[in-house]
Amino acid sequence: MMKRNMKLKSIAVVAVLTIAFTSCSSDSESTTEESDATVETEVASTEVAAEATITVEDAWARTSPMDATVGAAYMNITSSADDALVGASVDTSVAMMTQVHETTTAADGSMGMQEIKSLPLLAGVKTELKPGGYHVMMMKLVKPLVVGETVSITLTFESGSTQIVEVPVLEEAP
Amino acid sequence: MIKSTNFLKNFLTLTTFATLLFSCSTESSQFVGLVRDQPLDVSKVYLPEETNASPAEPFNTVAANGELLILFFGYTNCPDLCPTTLADIRAAFARIGDDAKRVSVAFVTVDPERDTAQLLTNYVGSFVDRFHVLRTTDFNELQVAKDAFLASSTIQKTSDGKVEVSHTATAYVVDDSGLVVDELPFGVGADGFENDLKILLREIN
Repeated sequence: MMKRNMKLKSIAVVAVLTIAFTSCSSDSESTTEESDATVETEVASTEVAAEATITVEDAWARTSPMDATVGAAYMNITSSADDALVGASVDTSVAMMTQVHETTTAADGSMGMQEIKSLPLLAGVKTELKPGGYHVMMMKLVKPLVVGETVSITLTFESGSTQIVEVPVLEEAP
Repeated sequence: MIKSTNFLKNFLTLTTFATLLFSCSTESSQFVGLVRDQPLDVSKVYLPEETNASPAEPFNTVAANGELLILFFGYTNCPDLCPTTLADIRAAFARIGDDAKRVSVAFVTVDPERDTAQLLTNYVGSFVDRFHVLRTTDFNELQVAKDAFLASSTIQKTSDGKVEVSHTATAYVVDDSGLVVDELPFGVGADGFENDLKILLREIN
């Protein structure tokens, strides 16, 4: 009887330990999974391309709050040859002025933005336009950017080529 | 003899269990944001709270009893940092669920000339339900608040009429005694807010 009791006890202890373990590991697992999800997959560079190609991926614009006059769009740009992004524009039915901006951090830790006249694109290297970094800034929005809509953004490159990107309006990064 | 072995066994089991629990809790209570040994005390900071309904009234930057207050310095003409931070907070609230009803957001404009009460209310209100918009045109009053949070901001008007704003983009979590218990720098994302708020909400339970 005493022996049996002890067995029961140890089973209980093991069970509690297992629960402690599981709850613990599931916690950390979910966080690793989420952080993994934010890791972008590398785009293979096409070194043998006959003509320079520019690929734009994962473009999205954040919804603009009601009454906001500015909005931002993000995307990843890869050019097969060295180039630079020298301009971005949208139709004046969307915003009156569009620029490429970079969010920067000053020595005192405060953050601001500055216009980037030329954003270098190294051959085969993906350049990320993402929150807290580079973005296409739409100023003097004519109307709010609403989820479900798309904004056509025309990108102009130093090489002279242009590309029209259909950018979906989303609440969060895709 | 049997008794003492049993005791030893029980003791060992208990110790192991305690160690496990402890290591478990330290792991999941790891803050993403900055937690100071000597937290900033903002219990004496008051800023005018704007509402659409009535004239501004002084708001003490302290969480309600048993709650948390996330305070952020920003402006509505901010396309990148401010909406990203507010959207991250909104996403974290959604993941936390009902418990997030004990967290409210205070948005302090660093651009009071352009940010009207209505603009601010609509802007912040499009992200979260429980919020306070704080606005003062008194430079010194804003400076006192910024100093308490060790925050900074500047506004420069360029010759071509553009307004350039810079501001600390840290989200400060204040408890109900007016201590800044966590400082989340820009870039921690919804994951960072979710992680830290869950720990803090557990602590005040």
